[in-house]
Amino acid sequence: MKQDRSKNENHKFTRIFKSGDKTNHQRTSSGLGERLILYGLIAIFLFITFSPIVWIFSTSLKQNQEAMSFPPKLIPEDPTLENFIFVLTDPTLVQSLLNSFIVSIGSTLLSVTVSALGGYAFARFEFKGKNMIISIILGLFMIPVVINIVPLYIMLADLGLLNSLFALMLTFQILIIPLNILLLKSYFETIPQDLEESALLDGCSRLGVLRRITIPLSMPGFAIAAVLSFRFAWNEFILAVVLANHPDSTVFQVALYQFISLYRIDWGYLSAGITIAIIPVLVLMLSFQKNMVRGLTLGAIRG
Amino acid sequence: MAQISKLQPYLFLAPSFAILLVFLIFPLSWNIYIALHDVSLITLLKEWEYVGLENFVTLFDDPNFYTSLKVTLMFVGGSVALQFGMGILMAIVLNQQIRGSGVYRAILIIPWTISAVIAAFSFKFILDDNFGILNFILNQLGVESVGWLSDPNIVIWSLVMANMWYGTPFTLLFLTAGLLSINPSLYEAARIDGASKMRSLFHITLPLLKPFMIINLILITMWSVNLFDIQLIMTGGGPLFSSTTASLYMYRQAFEFGLLSKGAAAGIILILINLTVAVIYVKFLRR
Repeated sequence: MKQDRSKNENHKFTRIFKSGDKTNHQRTSSGLGERLILYGLIAIFLFITFSPIVWIFSTSLKQNQEAMSFPPKLIPEDPTLENFIFVLTDPTLVQSLLNSFIVSIGSTLLSVTVSALGGYAFARFEFKGKNMIISIILGLFMIPVVINIVPLYIMLADLGLLNSLFALMLTFQILIIPLNILLLKSYFETIPQDLEESALLDGCSRLGVLRRITIPLSMPGFAIAAVLSFRFAWNEFILAVVLANHPDSTVFQVALYQFISLYRIDWGYLSAGITIAIIPVLVLMLSFQKNMVRGLTLGAIRG
Repeated sequence: MAQISKLQPYLFLAPSFAILLVFLIFPLSWNIYIALHDVSLITLLKEWEYVGLENFVTLFDDPNFYTSLKVTLMFVGGSVALQFGMGILMAIVLNQQIRGSGVYRAILIIPWTISAVIAAFSFKFILDDNFGILNFILNQLGVESVGWLSDPNIVIWSLVMANMWYGTPFTLLFLTAGLLSINPSLYEAARIDGASKMRSLFHITLPLLKPFMIINLILITMWSVNLFDIQLIMTGGGPLFSSTTASLYMYRQAFEFGLLSKGAAAGIILILINLTVAVIYVKFLRR
């Protein structure tokens, strides 16, 4: 019963992206005027969504004088990679890019491991206070991080852990763990218990079952959890700017922020930085697009 | 052995809960303690003096705090109205019989994969008073330049614009999930009964979408209340305090002026604002 439901849900979510003409639409044939309005609206939506990104990308390819010159041109007159070269050779920015990768990959691994254990407990065990703990997790999910920045700052300062990438990874977990536990729990529930039970009878331990049977069977779920975790860690700014703002330990987004507050804003360089910041998550999201929608909807709850 | 298997689920949960306890639950409660003491960046590592409610008193004596509440109301009101309006329009349009609507949807969701910080940088560039592209286009159309980021009366709406761009995809995604949960045979029946499309929109789609709309509204309201990266990057809260929302006020008190405990006090007010939002919507939901 439960399995059926989550399968259905899964199907529903993949339909969000796949639905072309078949599924859930209002099946009345529409007149030409109506079509024109619909496509007109879609064109406007696409324009609003795309124009800032296109403009930034175009600026990132411009010579420095051209980026600030009037009248602005959409297509760079003399396209150049010098802005990208500047960003990718500036020691502080390169260090921060490296930090971003370390922190994002580290937090992803940590949170997926820890949440797999938690999600497994909810999916497979009946225990006292289970429902209460699940609602607590849902509640924790809703607490905005910004409220916690002052106590977190003081706490890490007391412990001498400001500007530590490891502390940053641990702190980022509060954004990701609740989501990942719920996500992985729902994936584990779709895996038949019989397999696990026979392995248990053969003398395999619970952890062994989890490692040898459950995890290999829930790889799609892990893919979503990992991509979402990476996205949260990569995009996180508030915690990073408060807890790690020393030039050696900034993440890329914070380094870009310091870059604009320290110098006169150089839009050529900055737009190259923006483009670089967008790429990793976009590539991940696009390559996992099919699995993504379900996770996105769940993950969106964190913002 | 039986003992161990009883404890097992708790052992599985222990690592996640240890992390959440230290980095989420403890700081949340410690906030109150900090707000009742005098803590600044200078006294941080020394003995903290107990000051009772003094931090709250200075908070409520500060005209900038009231400004920030007013600014929050405008920012949240504007953001929620625009994100929700645009999002529901997009969701309904893309739910019509349109070739390739799945592709359009995938593209329209892109801003959500980008961070608020990056959205803020991009809009700071586009809205720049002197050489931003938007003012350039306005000038070409014969309209005078607008002080998007320098005019205290306008700056908040520029932030709302950036937040709309960043936040709308979530509403699109969430309400699309809602639209797909509606049974298509309802539309079929309405069509056979001769109902127009507009009629089925108002009598079938919107009523059935209501529970999704309410949850969606709760979430986007809370996020807009707590958002601060867009404000910090686009304006830093300025000019003066004209675009400092309550969340940014808290940050500026704590980390710009070094008054950590005053920031903590503002944080508690922020928690109360969040709770109020949740209670109002839940009441609304029950009705």
